Amino acid sequence: MIAALLLALGLQGQPQIATEAPGIVAALTQETVEIREDFDGAELVLYGATRGLTIQDEIVVVLRGPGRDLRVMQKSRSFGIWVNSAPLEFDDVPSYYAIATSLPLETIAHPDELERSGIGLQAMLEANARAMEASWLLRASTVVDGAGETNPPAEPGEQAEPPALIRQDRVSEYLDAIARAGRRDDVFAEAQRGVEILDGGLFRATIALPPLTPVGNYVAEVYLFRGGRPIASRSASLRVEKAGIERFFFEFAHDLPVLYGLFCVLMAMIAGYIANLAFNRR
Amino acid sequence: MQIYLPIAEISVNIFLLLGLGLGVGFLSGMFGVGGGFLMTPLLIFIGVPPAVAVSTGANQIIASSTSGVFPHWKRKTLDLKMGVLLLIGGSSGSIAGVQLFALLRGMGQIDLIISLSYVGFLGIVGGLMMIESVRAIIRAANPDKSGGRRSLRKRGWIDRLPFKMRFPASGLYISVIPPVAIGFFVGTLVAIMGVAGGFIMVPAMIYMLRMPTNVVVGTSLFQILFVTALTTFLQAAQNQTVDILLALLLTVGGVIGAQFGARAGRNVKAEELRALLAALVLAVCLKMGWDLVVTPSDLFTILPRGAGEGF
Repeated sequence: MIAALLLALGLQGQPQIATEAPGIVAALTQETVEIREDFDGAELVLYGATRGLTIQDEIVVVLRGPGRDLRVMQKSRSFGIWVNSAPLEFDDVPSYYAIATSLPLETIAHPDELERSGIGLQAMLEANARAMEASWLLRASTVVDGAGETNPPAEPGEQAEPPALIRQDRVSEYLDAIARAGRRDDVFAEAQRGVEILDGGLFRATIALPPLTPVGNYVAEVYLFRGGRPIASRSASLRVEKAGIERFFFEFAHDLPVLYGLFCVLMAMIAGYIANLAFNRR
Repeated sequence: MQIYLPIAEISVNIFLLLGLGLGVGFLSGMFGVGGGFLMTPLLIFIGVPPAVAVSTGANQIIASSTSGVFPHWKRKTLDLKMGVLLLIGGSSGSIAGVQLFALLRGMGQIDLIISLSYVGFLGIVGGLMMIESVRAIIRAANPDKSGGRRSLRKRGWIDRLPFKMRFPASGLYISVIPPVAIGFFVGTLVAIMGVAGGFIMVPAMIYMLRMPTNVVVGTSLFQILFVTALTTFLQAAQNQTVDILLALLLTVGGVIGAQFGARAGRNVKAEELRALLAALVLAVCLKMGWDLVVTPSDLFTILPRGAGEGF
């Protein structure tokens, strides 16, 4: 932590070439977060320094986890029971997305500006949906009829279904569902604050990693906002990985699945045999 | 004290898991069932992904059936020949079930199929058991009223099947087709529902194959042991959904609970015990049925996509 601070201070003290040019640097207090058997969430601290920080400047920190491909399905009632239907597929949705800011996000910048720069949960999800639209068009009929029947996707060459078939309100329902699920597990978090501006252009951001923190490569992006626009940004990377017994068993299960399967069977048989010795002596 | 499970990828209280093992172990010891039909839904309820709950349930049943099969082996209350036939059917059923599981998971319908299987099978078995045990209780209360047992009926169409074989331990001479078919059916259930299938196997052996009751439990445990071992192995090798840490914690609670349960069970009359078990089975059935019908709190489900990925 001290090293990070010194680093930050050192960078801050660099000769300022263009005095007015605003800049930002940041460093995480740890580059890897280890998930061990007692992992129950963690707190991540990011230190940073700005150059030419003025009174109307604000700081936004975005931490983004590894992307996952999702299929979102809507439940619909058929024969009295709820069945998953009407799937919509999303590629590369961050499995973790947290924001810390020096002021509530909506007061830092206009929603349009946030959407343009893709900052914020809503903007991030909408950008993702826009990227997916082309592939949905090919199977638009699947989404719209809502019956969950997979019609063969139209050939890319032939005239696709009219774009109007994907109604904007339906897509936003799916996006809301992704956001809701993420918030429920605390893997999507938009803190109203979390960035503390210290003296001398230094700042500190704290971000909570929940118990369900996904494993993988993370990117922390730090933005300096002035007058409602991002004028400088920097990124730092973070790795969340399993360690200790967790890592051992996870890698065992995934790298040597056959041996792991035999091991599980053997362990259970030994446990049962010990139980038999302990209790069934007569 | 929280513990992070490496395959389920969730953090759970260690005492909750031990308690769960203890509680389900108690009931399984008391009623002489594997308890998978309680354990798997409970694991899903505390947040374990369904795929991991089903596979890990099978792993835990290996331990309980291993400890259960030894006394039967010693007392020779086990029909090895019948067990092997059931096992042949069971192994093929398990292989088919694991494939079916992967297929349904790919379609996003695995949760529904698990729930529907539970509602269907628990409803039928629980209902039949309840009727039978209530009748037995009434009969026990009025001993004067034709206490004589009904004579063993003929097995009917089962006797007409070809490939007959002698089973000295059970004193039977029947076709090999029914045992293999029953084994296959139960093996599929092991893979899809994460249950040992004892609650279907035992009635099937008694009422369909007409095996003597003293060898039924031992033979059922014998075949369950090997079918769950195969299922665990296949699920681990193909789907990577077996959580060894979770299985071991449940086993520790389970074996201790089963001892107390078995002791408690001795103080209750057999037919009353069966009625209690039937009530328990029906309660789980109703709970799962209710969850299918009631409007869910969130109408959307987020499922991961991509082959080989954990649930």
